[in-house]
Amino acid sequence: MTRARLNKILMSLVIGAAFLWLLIPFTMAVLWSLVDPSEPWTADQLLPPAMSFYRWTDMWQNSSLKPALVTSYALAPTAAVLTLCLALPTAYALGRYEFPGRELAKTLCLLPLVVPAFITAIFFSSILFQLGLAGNRFAAIVFAHAVLFLPYAIRILTVSFEQVRQDHIDAARDLGATPLARFRVAFVPALKPGISATLLIVFIQSIEEFAIAFIIGSPDVVTIPTLLYSALGQDFVRPNAAVLSLILVVPNVFLMLILERLMKSANPALSSGKG
Amino acid sequence: MGAIRISGVTKSFGEFQALSSISLEVAQGEFVTLLGPSGCGKTTLLKIISGFIEPTDGQIEIGGENVTRLPPEQRDTALCFQSYALFPHLTVRENLEFGLRQKKLGRDEIASRVRDVSTKLELAAQMDKLPNQLSGGQQQRVSLGRALVMRPSVILFDEPLSNLDAKLRDQVRIEIRRIQKDYDLTAIYVTHDQAEALAMSDRVVVLNQGRAEQIDTPERLYAAPATSFVADFIGSANVMEGTVLSADGAGLCTVETPIGVLEAKDAGVPPGAIRRLSWRPEKAQIGEPGLTATVTHRAFQGHFTDLTVDTGGTLYRVQTGRDDIREGDGITFALRPADIVFLEAVG
Repeated sequence: MTRARLNKILMSLVIGAAFLWLLIPFTMAVLWSLVDPSEPWTADQLLPPAMSFYRWTDMWQNSSLKPALVTSYALAPTAAVLTLCLALPTAYALGRYEFPGRELAKTLCLLPLVVPAFITAIFFSSILFQLGLAGNRFAAIVFAHAVLFLPYAIRILTVSFEQVRQDHIDAARDLGATPLARFRVAFVPALKPGISATLLIVFIQSIEEFAIAFIIGSPDVVTIPTLLYSALGQDFVRPNAAVLSLILVVPNVFLMLILERLMKSANPALSSGKG
Repeated sequence: MGAIRISGVTKSFGEFQALSSISLEVAQGEFVTLLGPSGCGKTTLLKIISGFIEPTDGQIEIGGENVTRLPPEQRDTALCFQSYALFPHLTVRENLEFGLRQKKLGRDEIASRVRDVSTKLELAAQMDKLPNQLSGGQQQRVSLGRALVMRPSVILFDEPLSNLDAKLRDQVRIEIRRIQKDYDLTAIYVTHDQAEALAMSDRVVVLNQGRAEQIDTPERLYAAPATSFVADFIGSANVMEGTVLSADGAGLCTVETPIGVLEAKDAGVPPGAIRRLSWRPEKAQIGEPGLTATVTHRAFQGHFTDLTVDTGGTLYRVQTGRDDIREGDGITFALRPADIVFLEAVG
């Protein structure tokens, strides 16, 4: 009995701490975004002395926020779809075929993740210039993002392909299904959660990515992160940075929630057919 | 003409010989079981018949047509999977309709076939459920139904009962046989369970290490096993070696065995030949004079008692309806000449 109570108390403590951990930065960002320029928020005050939506309207009207939003929200879905298309064949091979060195190949696919994004960005941009592909900066960033996030996509989709059951494929064949019908009945249901998860993860990563967008894109192409870093960097204005970070983070929170749902719906009972 | 003719089918995976020259003819409406321990090649043979594996050598004919090189989607066979392999995102009805849609049958035809099968399998109430909402037995029936709606020339079963509990297994076993007879289906059934094979089949193919040891009716397999493997695998016989001493010319011969000189039916084995012999545990005439033994182990099974007896240092299994024999008791028993079966030669 006491153990159960202790458990409950500890549990609520952990949840409380995690909640504060998330809540404090959020609250700070919201407060900072509301600071009115007439009076600065100094360290001796708990709340900003004057609050208004001035920063929000100012950012909206007088910065490159609008084109940045358009760029970012065009970039992310394009990169997500391209990454998916590039990852599918590799994931199919890794997930469906037995071959010597398969585990090694899987690990090698993940290896690029250990290289810092800036290093990748610098060398990638030089390759793009050498190949003469830097003419269309937007397309160059899309391609670079796809390459950068390929490891995630391959990993997720490999697991999805592994979950496709051979007996479902065989049953479909035995019942006379064409390759297309086989794909629809045996592959698609098992792959669906993995495809959605891949699209969302690459979308979120691409929306938040700075290094490549900055090195390849600037000064022509402005994304929300490059705008944010400039608000934090050369012209350091904390309230503007707060506005931008909120614009960046809020949609992502909702996307993460959707992702969580998708991961749950990928329950093994559904793909194994056993309760 | 047989519904299926398998001639000289051989399959090797690299060095490993999975099947060695299997030949078998199955008549229309016949129920044939492929029986053997795991790794004997029975599933490989089933996959060759269904088209998932191409044989290294040999030929498969279904309804007189050579289908050896035909892929599974073009063969007129329907397979019931051990795992059922129901499509989890489709309802029972959609699962049953799947194959018929692939065949591009008309809507009325599909509906009537599905209705017919679902009534016969008592699935009518489950039609709009998903497979994971069904019990194991119901899933099994859907899997059977999905094969039945195809009205195949041959229905193939890959250990369909192995995921069911013992009681349900008996019930489904009877049901499968009933439906097979109702539809006059030609069936090939794979199992490692000899009781299942004996109870269901018209004929049984006993496979061991890729070879057909014996192809016979269940009754013949039991009464007259051809090899010691069959004798032991079907109903665990006592197998021993014996040297034929002489034949009396009147249908009996004497054989020298580790438990003494016995009389057996003359099977035309020349004197001096060493052969394996088998006899069934329940054929021992306990209480009759002849052989003496000590009971070393006793297991009461209800309608009979299983005894392990020591005869001259070798252990044999006997069964009796008597329940008054205890461990350590000395007993006598006799074997009738007709109950001793000659198996393969030794060496």
